[in-house]
Amino acid sequence: MNTSYETIIIGGGVIGNSIAYHLSERYREGVLVIDKKYPLSGTSGSTQAWVWVHNKTPSSYAEFSMYSAELYPYLSRKIGDVEYKRTGGLSPFFNEKDRDKAKRLAESYREIGIKIKVLSREEVIEKEPSINPNVAGATFSKIDGNVNPFRLADMYMRAAKKNGIEYSYYNEVIDIQKKNDQFIVFSKNGEYTCKNVILAGGTWSRELGKMVGVHIPVNQVRGQILVTEPLKPFINYTISGMRQANNGEVLIGYSMEEAGFNRSTTLDVMQETANMAMYYIPDLGKAKVVRAFSGIRAVPEDGLPIIGKVPSVENLYVATMHSGITLSPLVGTLMTELLVDGDTSLSIAPYSIERFK
Amino acid sequence: MDKDTIICRCEELSFEEIEEVICLGAESFDDIKRITRCGMGPCQAKICADLVSKMIHEQTGKIYEEIPMPRMRMPVSPISIETLSTNSQHFSTVKSVLDEVELEDGKVR
Ligand SMILES: Cc1cc2nc3c(=O)[nH]c(=O)nc-3n(C[C@H](O)[C@H](O)[C@H](O)COP(=O)(O)OP(=O)(O)OC[C@H]3O[C@@H](n4cnc5c(N)ncnc54)[C@H](O)[C@@H]3O)c2cc1C
Repeated sequence: MNTSYETIIIGGGVIGNSIAYHLSERYREGVLVIDKKYPLSGTSGSTQAWVWVHNKTPSSYAEFSMYSAELYPYLSRKIGDVEYKRTGGLSPFFNEKDRDKAKRLAESYREIGIKIKVLSREEVIEKEPSINPNVAGATFSKIDGNVNPFRLADMYMRAAKKNGIEYSYYNEVIDIQKKNDQFIVFSKNGEYTCKNVILAGGTWSRELGKMVGVHIPVNQVRGQILVTEPLKPFINYTISGMRQANNGEVLIGYSMEEAGFNRSTTLDVMQETANMAMYYIPDLGKAKVVRAFSGIRAVPEDGLPIIGKVPSVENLYVATMHSGITLSPLVGTLMTELLVDGDTSLSIAPYSIERFK
Repeated sequence: MDKDTIICRCEELSFEEIEEVICLGAESFDDIKRITRCGMGPCQAKICADLVSKMIHEQTGKIYEEIPMPRMRMPVSPISIETLSTNSQHFSTVKSVLDEVELEDGKVR
């Protein structure tokens, strides 16, 4: 068994895998991805998977997300069909007084060149005929879409493996030590040494950080989703709150709860989600729910991603964030530039862990 | 079993397709589910759960009784959204995306 690597990536969700794949385009040997379970057992396996740009604040963060969305068509051509669809995104509002907020959002985006339209009631109904006719309006952006998260992680992994990246599953990392210029990564199945360590543990980043004496302030926020039986295609856009997948299933939900690592689904939130479904699209009342699932978001304390070098420990890197599906192509690209070239083509300074000092 | 034998009827997955994921290191039903959609259909793994456990047992030598069962998902048997709904239009945990946009001095933060 090889135990010495250039770079070890801890965490095999979409973020760890995107970094692995993008690294493999530049150097093919000496990279190991370790996961305590099997890929997709973390947040990447229980997500809505919108590739979502509009409504993100501050507008600089929307801009960052936009660059990632722009990489998707290109990514699909490189790693294979990940069922990315640029449907356009619709955020409906049901109260006329929200129009003002929507307009201000559009204004703040105009300055950075992201076009959002604020739609009238008639325009929303024309775009999405099955929506509740009581809708007051919506914000709309062409850049939003969605992707199949299972295919995304699987394709990243297959491409990375083809390029020589090694993987170790069911192998929990229990400690990390730094000796001179080397890290020693202690795992359930053995010890590894390496020059660079990348922490891509999602919700578990705080725990991983502790192993190297670094404070990574991410909190857990649970989200619950209802999945319907396959329905004929009838939802045209990615609506904030729901989307229809290629196989016809509608994924519904946008809930936030603090429940630590508890990944149960609960009847109260399922009911509220069902209410939301019918409030947005009355016809969904007749649709059958096949299952409910929940996932835990890793949300950094100020809501923005934590990406880049950890200045206090040489050759230690971190990449954790909410909206990792949206951001994975860009984060993989920039982290690779950082490791290989020492600098990034797009500034990641606003997302440095330094800001929490 | 024949390579073409269908293991998951709802998602039409063959023995061969599931075998491949086990070869890649999957050790539980849920590992296979997330890669292939096995068990995500209307029957909620009622038909394929045991077949898949047997496959994992046979291919990896893991003790059959120790292979984790699929995580059953509410509502186990499909029910309509209408039945689940309480008709309330008051939302607390479920949010609208625009709720999260905050204004400061009349400008987006
Ligand atoms: C309900 C819900 C809806 C969402 N909707 C969207 C959306 O629409 N759009 C969007 O962009 N994002 C969305 N997200 C967020 C998105 O899914 C996540 O940001 C993304 O999946 C994070 O990926 P990750 O690779 O960072 O983390 P994960 O997928 O959690 O991967 C981390 C991995 O690290 C491994 N690990 C942790 N600790 C250790 C250890 N000690 N040793 C070894 N391995 C370890 C874990 O096993 C895990 O596989 C949503 C999330 C939820 C819960």
